[in-house]
Formats: sequence, C-alpha cells, structure tokens
Amino acid sequence: MKRQLIILLLLFVTTAGKTQERKYFSLFTDRDLYASGETLLLKIFAPSDELSGIVHVDLVSMSGKKIAGISKKINDHQADGFIYLPDSLSSGCYLLCTSTKNNPVLTFNELYITNRFTGIPEAGSAVRSSEKRCVMETSANALQIEGMDKTVQSGAKASVTLRLPGELLSQIKGNLSVCVAESTPGFEPATFLKSTPPKKDQLVEKDGVIIDGVIRDLKTGKPLKNGIVLLSIPDSIPRFNFYRTGIDGHFNFQFDNYYGKIPVVIQGYDPERKHLLKIVLNHTDSLANGIPMFENWTIPPALRKISEQNTDAVTVRKIFNQQEINVQPVSKPKGETYPFYGVPTLVVDPHPFIDLPDFTEISRELLTGVKFRAYNRIPTLQVFNNAMHAYFEDPPLLLLDGIPIHDLSVIKNMGSKDIDRVEICMNERFYGDLGFPGVVAIYTSKSNFSRIVESDELIKFNLDVIQPDAQLNILTEKQQNEPDLRKVLLWKPSLKPEETIRLNFETSDIRSNYKVIVRGTTRDGSVFYKEQTFEVN
Amino acid sequence: MTNRILLIILFGLLTAVTAKAQENSPQSLNTEKIKGTRFIPYPGYSGSPYLTDKFVMGEIEFLDGTKTGNLGLRYSTFQDEIIYYNSVISAQIIIDKISLKGFSVTGNKGVKRVFRRQYYNGLLHEERFFEVLSDGKISLLVYRKVDLETCDASYNKFGLAFQPSFYYYIYAADKGYSPIKINRSSLLSKFNKPNQKLVKKLLRKNKLQILDESSFVAAWNLIMGSGIKIEF
Repeated sequence: MKRQLIILLLLFVTTAGKTQERKYFSLFTDRDLYASGETLLLKIFAPSDELSGIVHVDLVSMSGKKIAGISKKINDHQADGFIYLPDSLSSGCYLLCTSTKNNPVLTFNELYITNRFTGIPEAGSAVRSSEKRCVMETSANALQIEGMDKTVQSGAKASVTLRLPGELLSQIKGNLSVCVAESTPGFEPATFLKSTPPKKDQLVEKDGVIIDGVIRDLKTGKPLKNGIVLLSIPDSIPRFNFYRTGIDGHFNFQFDNYYGKIPVVIQGYDPERKHLLKIVLNHTDSLANGIPMFENWTIPPALRKISEQNTDAVTVRKIFNQQEINVQPVSKPKGETYPFYGVPTLVVDPHPFIDLPDFTEISRELLTGVKFRAYNRIPTLQVFNNAMHAYFEDPPLLLLDGIPIHDLSVIKNMGSKDIDRVEICMNERFYGDLGFPGVVAIYTSKSNFSRIVESDELIKFNLDVIQPDAQLNILTEKQQNEPDLRKVLLWKPSLKPEETIRLNFETSDIRSNYKVIVRGTTRDGSVFYKEQTFEVN
Repeated sequence: MTNRILLIILFGLLTAVTAKAQENSPQSLNTEKIKGTRFIPYPGYSGSPYLTDKFVMGEIEFLDGTKTGNLGLRYSTFQDEIIYYNSVISAQIIIDKISLKGFSVTGNKGVKRVFRRQYYNGLLHEERFFEVLSDGKISLLVYRKVDLETCDASYNKFGLAFQPSFYYYIYAADKGYSPIKINRSSLLSKFNKPNQKLVKKLLRKNKLQILDESSFVAAWNLIMGSGIKIEF
C-alpha cells in the first residue's frame, strides 16, 4: 500500500512538473525602430493554457498613457495584427503591452519611434526602460535558412528556402511566422514581463471583446439594482441589447464576432424612474500596477542615421500614397434581417410631401397612428395599438437612429428636412423580457447621432472590436515607376510548417541591412527562432 | 500512519489542481433575444385553434442556427404562429415568424414534433410553418391549418368553429411541393407503374395498411428506406 502511494505521488509530481509551460504572451514586431505614420506589424504567441480568445495589444508611452490599441482573436494559440503609429507621436521610446482580461502577466516590448517631422532630438538622448530583456526565446539550430546570399541587389527578386527536419517539424505547434525586414544594429529593445494582481470574477473573452461597468445612483453613488442598461449600435439595421443589473449594479456586453471600429451608445435606465443614474465603464489599464523603471540612454549615431532615412522613406511613401498593408474586408455578423423592434407597420418618408417645420406637424399630417403633442411645452407621444383599436396609454419606444431616447424635446423641433424616414410599430413589441408599447423609430438625414447628448447616464464612443486581418502590400505594376521604399520585404505571420518552404520576395530601393527571421512555438510552449542577416546594396 | 499522511498529501494536491482548473466562465452574453408581439387570445369559438391544449416545452431555432430551449410553446394552427410564454413578464408572445428557422415541441407521447419555416409558392404564397413528418432529400410535410367556419348556432353561440384542414405535401428543394392525401391511392400515384407494384408488394409484405397519418408516415418511411424511386 505504502509503495503504491509513493508511486502515485511520484506520478503526480511528474505530471505536475510537466504542466510548467510558458504562462505569458510572446509578442514580436516586424522591426524595433519606426517613424510616426508607419504601420507596425505584430505577431503574438499565446500560452497554451490561455483561457481568453481575445488578446489586447496597447501602444503606451513611457508615462503610461495609452496611445493606440488593438484586440485580436487568438486562433490556434496565435494572433497577428497591426497598429497605425499616429503622426502626432513625439520621438522617443514606447512600450507595447500585451494582455488579456484574465492573464495576470503582462508582456511589454520596447520600441523606438521617431517623429517624421521633428526627427530625433538634437540632445541625442532618450528615456528608456531599464528593465532587462527577460523574455527568452531559443534558437532553433535544426531549422535551416537557405538560398539567401550575403548581399542582394536593390530592386531585385530574391528567394529564401526554409528547411525543417522531421524531428523539428513534429515538435512544432501551430504556424510559423516569417519576416524579412530592415534590422537595427545598435538598438536592443527590452522585452519584459509584469505581474498584475489576480483578476477575480473577470469574464473570459471567448469570441469577442467584452465591455463592462457599473450603473450607480448619481446622488448616493450606490450601485443600482434592477436597473436596465441599454446598448445601441447604430447601423442601417440598428443593433440593440440590454442588461438587467443585479445587486452589484454590474453590467457587461460581449461583442461576438464584431470587427473593426463600431459606434456604441450605452445608457442607463431606471424602470421605476426614481433615480438619476451614472454609468461607469471599467477600463483595463495596462500600467495600473506602476510604470516601468527608466534610465537615460544615449542614442547611437547608427540609429540616428537609420532613423533619418526611415522618416524620409515614410514621407515619400505618403506622397505617393503607398499603403503598407491591405486590410481584409470584414463581414457583418449574420442573423439580423430586420430591426430589433420588429418589422414596422408603417414607414413614412417625409420628403415627397410639403416641408413641415416640426415633429408635431409631421405627426399630425403624415404619421397615421402617432400622436405627438406639446401642450404647455410638455411634449407627449402615443402610438395606436392595432390589436386593441385604441392608443397605448404609455409612451412608445422612441428611437433616434436606432438609439433609444427618453427626452421627447430632442425630436420636438425636427422638421421634414432633418428626417430621412420614420418607422412605426403599432403593436406591443417585445425584445427578450423588455416590452414596448409601440415603437417610433426616426432616422435622421445626417445619421450622425449629433442630437444624442452625452450625459452621466449616456455614453457614446467608437469601440475598437476585433481587428480585421491584413496583408502586406507590395507595389503593383502601376506603381513600378514610383520609388520602392519598403522596410518590410516579406511578412507571413501564419505559415503552415512543412519540410521545405520556399518564399519569394523583392528587395526595395532602400540599401541597408536586413534580417530574415523565422519564429514558431514547440509543443511544450516555448518560442524558437532562427535568423539570417543580409545586405541590400 | 505513514499511509494516512501520504493519502492526505495526495488528496490535498489533487484538490489544489482541481480547484485551479475551475475557470471563471462567462455569462451567456449577446444571446439571441426572442422578438415578438403580445398575443391577444382568440374569441371563444368551438374547436381548438391550437396544436396542443396547453403550453408544452419546446425549442426554437433562429435564422443563424442558434437554438433556445426549455420554452413553453404553443402553436396556433389557426394563424400559423408560434406563441411562447414569458414567465418573467407573465406574457404570451407571438414570436416573429421571420426571425425563426423552425421550432420543435414535445407531443403528448413524449415524441418530438419538428416544424420548419418554409416558403410556400402555391396559390397563397407565404412563409408557413410545416410539420416535418419525414425528413430527407424528399420530405413529407404537413401544413396543420385550422379554418374558422360557420357552424350550427346550437353548437357555438357565435355560430363559428375552428375546423382542422390539414394539407400534406411531398417536398424536395429542387422540385417544390406536391400535394398528397393520406390514403393508399394518393401514395401510389406518386410512383410509376412498375414501382407501384413494388410499393404494393412492400406494404403487403410488411402488413402495412394505410388508415391514418401515423400509418401513412410509417409506409412512407418504409418506401423511402427501400430506395424505390418516387416521381412527382
């Protein structure tokens, strides 16, 4: 019995020991040195036990301010994306922070960005992270990069062959990432990890970005129980969702399979109409746990030279309108064929009729079954109930460009010129557990939601949801007479591993040192790489 | 004693690993919400305008393929609409037909009855819920229509009664609908002469007499299983 128990214990220890794998994200960029206005390409390898299906990468300044950010879907423990570097960035070191809602370990990558109008400061020094490189990747000696000469002519066709022996091939998990880009000798950017306090009760972003927050009583600051939080996504077919809060006043919405940037309006609603509300969104702050330590750094002359060349190249590319990447078109989520409020009983386009100055006139003259009156300056709205052959006593759901509004004075002065169409549902509609005594949906001519005013209980913003995929742009035949100033010659972030992989690319007009770099992960979760440098002259 | 200590250590370690594996699972977010209008009960005519006497448990399937189960459903054969009972707001709601691909309800004997929304391109062309009696490349469908007809005033004070008027169809995506009646001759008419003999032989061999809907469906399934080619 004792022996059996010891064997069991040993077996357990062996198994437990085996589960020690990489617990953090590994992020790699196409280069380490950029100019403002450029596009940064990135590749992420997720830990094998990562729960989240969405990874966030934020570009933050050394003072901890978020400049840009993306969210990407993790497929097969990998993701790739891009970040546009704004032209307004000042020259200096920046950090890329990779995180998820659940993983307590943040991965930071340092990079240097030069403002293409001001260049590197004359002082020749910068502040950079004093964290040492602590994220390790191992060199894969078995992987062979063949067929690449030490020097290649500019504007010439080149090819490289990757040979992966069977043993290595069997160890590789997922796809390989291959990048051929200009290298930056003399600049060794830091890559480091930071732990955050364990995130309790966090929802796992499986298929989409989650936004969450709390709805509170404006006066007391207490969370509102049984409050309703309405989410609107204005569109040609507006989208809508709601959340009934519990005792903690917490709400959340997951944007399943939404891509790109979408306008979002979130508003709180007290069904009892007793409280004034305040909506507070939870923001994940990458550097909430403290910004990294800094040190003064003297910029090497070689870096200054490359940087100057880089900024000139970016400016020329901008002049010729050469896009660095091609963003793949995204499809809208399927399923919605008609608005959430139902198929309208009546649709009225006011334009064929005489111009009417305000909504009272429009309702009187054009909207059958809609009673909008403003007696004693207090507007009221009622809709006819077709099923009961009488007007509803309660006001209907009023939508402006798909966004619910409660203040009737917003539409009071809307005339024919302001309105594109009005859709009316003359029956009691239900959306889940929410009931509406009729619906009046007004679509404005401008469709810019400018009449919707932000307040404590209404927030409107553009939400970056899952970033669509992109491909590296190569010059077309039409652009053959234009200068080719690409810094990235090849970017294949998801390449299926095979015994022999042949890759063709064309060198640009930039004469510099370049690097072929292949990365991947093994079954035990560790990241391997192999690189080879060459010169374009 | 040592055994006991070892057992405790092992148990403790296993518990720790199991506890670690407990994930914080997300709530069901952005799930398809049921859209519909309030149901106004029909006047009290004779007969039943519904498929079932009461609300029965069932499942609906949305256009995107997502399903919502454990719903109290009642199919109105009179208006060809599916009604569900929302217990949160205590309301009977007619689910928007265009938002559904179909629904299923559990019948009296615990049998699952599947209804599919399909476009009917006949004289009264419209979207209809057809009950799927037999599914396959060629399906056997029934449109369980109930009509409001006049009746003797002694039978109903309004002089109106709900009368079942079911329409059976053979349906194939490429050929469309072909009406069929629940009898032997109508079934045989869907086969050519040589195949009619085979069908008769098959039914005789299996001692199958077409008397009602269930025996018709049994015969249909038998013929479809035998691979005899149908022509319509």
